[in-house]
Amino acid sequence: MHAETLPDMALMHSDSLVERARQGDRNAQGKLVQLWYKRIYNYCFKFFLDHDMAMEASQKAFISMCRNVEALQDVSRFKSWLYKIAVNSCREEARKVKNSRSLSFDHVVNADAEDSPAWEKAVRRNENPERQYQQQELSDLLQKCLMELSVEQREVVIMKEYEGLKFREIAEALNISENTVKSRMYYGLDALKKILERRQITKETIGYEL
Amino acid sequence: MNFKPDEALLMAYLYGELQGEEKVNVERYLLEHPEAVRELEALRQVQSIMAGITDKEVIAPPIVLDHQRKHYFWNTSFGKTMLGIAASLTLIMLAGKFTGLHISVKDKTLAIGFGESSSDSPAEVATAQSVLTSSEVQDMINQSLSRNNESLVAQWSESQQKLDESIRKNLASYSDSQFNTLMKKVSAASDEQIRQFAFTLQADNAQMIKDYMTLNSSDQRKYIEELLIDFAKYLEQQNRNDLQVLQARLNSIEQNTDLFKYETEQILTSIISSVDNSKSFATKN
Repeated sequence: MHAETLPDMALMHSDSLVERARQGDRNAQGKLVQLWYKRIYNYCFKFFLDHDMAMEASQKAFISMCRNVEALQDVSRFKSWLYKIAVNSCREEARKVKNSRSLSFDHVVNADAEDSPAWEKAVRRNENPERQYQQQELSDLLQKCLMELSVEQREVVIMKEYEGLKFREIAEALNISENTVKSRMYYGLDALKKILERRQITKETIGYEL
Repeated sequence: MNFKPDEALLMAYLYGELQGEEKVNVERYLLEHPEAVRELEALRQVQSIMAGITDKEVIAPPIVLDHQRKHYFWNTSFGKTMLGIAASLTLIMLAGKFTGLHISVKDKTLAIGFGESSSDSPAEVATAQSVLTSSEVQDMINQSLSRNNESLVAQWSESQQKLDESIRKNLASYSDSQFNTLMKKVSAASDEQIRQFAFTLQADNAQMIKDYMTLNSSDQRKYIEELLIDFAKYLEQQNRNDLQVLQARLNSIEQNTDLFKYETEQILTSIISSVDNSKSFATKN
């Protein structure tokens, strides 16, 4: 699960913020965007494994959030509601990309070069750069494993594993039963196990690599 | 012993979302089934490996929203339809107004027409005609004729009167009295007055002619004087020119004679010298 950083703690206690946003407070809405942008972006990124598409989908999700937050019934369900928007935004973006037959220039550009400034920004200077680099490499590798899952399993696994939602919240976000979520999760993990085995990624190889 | 947790329960247990009796049941089952424990371990392994995916750092870009879109009645599809219907009705009504459309239902007949309505008059006339008898019509014609005649006569007599009046007025204005006074004035003028008038006329004429003559003679004198002066100047100029010409001629003659003298002198000297030469030659011989 993700670390309990200060913004995360703020997220946990953002009910009053959501309430204010719901009443049309633009500042509160902006604050919500700031608080949640990283989470939603990371969800989208893990879904697409593509920065541009993740940016597109998350921005659309937040635009939709700001437009519709006033219609939100239950403030306590804000989190699952927001993820629901994100899920729909990602699905829509994926459909759009599937439908458009044009060749994007983004795929021609060297992805590493594009990532490097962001990576550099994220680096804490006092840490070992090589270790940082290996971490990044492993992260990319595992991400590719994640991309091999079906869309349904991927959605559930990301929301559970990385976003730390409860099964109930995932069920609400995806509009399916809790049991379906759990079984998708099970089969998702099972599939990941097989993928890791096929790629010969084990705790030991990772440890060796690290 | 028959209890076997399904995938959903296992997942809930794995993620610590099981409570109470269910949790106890699953734990008991796991104690008795090591293969289930192995399976769970494998899944935990997957979890821990997959936890290697790090979050991407990202900064929220500014999200620009347009102003809250207000849902006005005319923006809804229903409102648009209604507005459309209202607009077309207004258009039809306006068109009807400008083309003079008439729609009327009278005596079980529907009449639609354009332009000025003339439907009421023929119908009424028709009904009226059917009601009137021929004698009444004759009476009405007679009445109108007699009324017409009366008015004609009245007009004629009025105009006749006016004419008479104006003639009379004109005659009155040309009365004899004015004419007579004019004649009287003329005859009242005496011979003395006439004579005086003629005399003054003569004097005026004489004066005028005298003035004219004096004016004329002085002008003429001036003109002749100028003419004489000009003529004198011209003569003088002419004389001067002649004198100059004479002078030039004399000069040229003088020059000619000088030249001639010079030439003759030369000839003479040459003759003399030749004579001298011949003489000396002769003497020598």
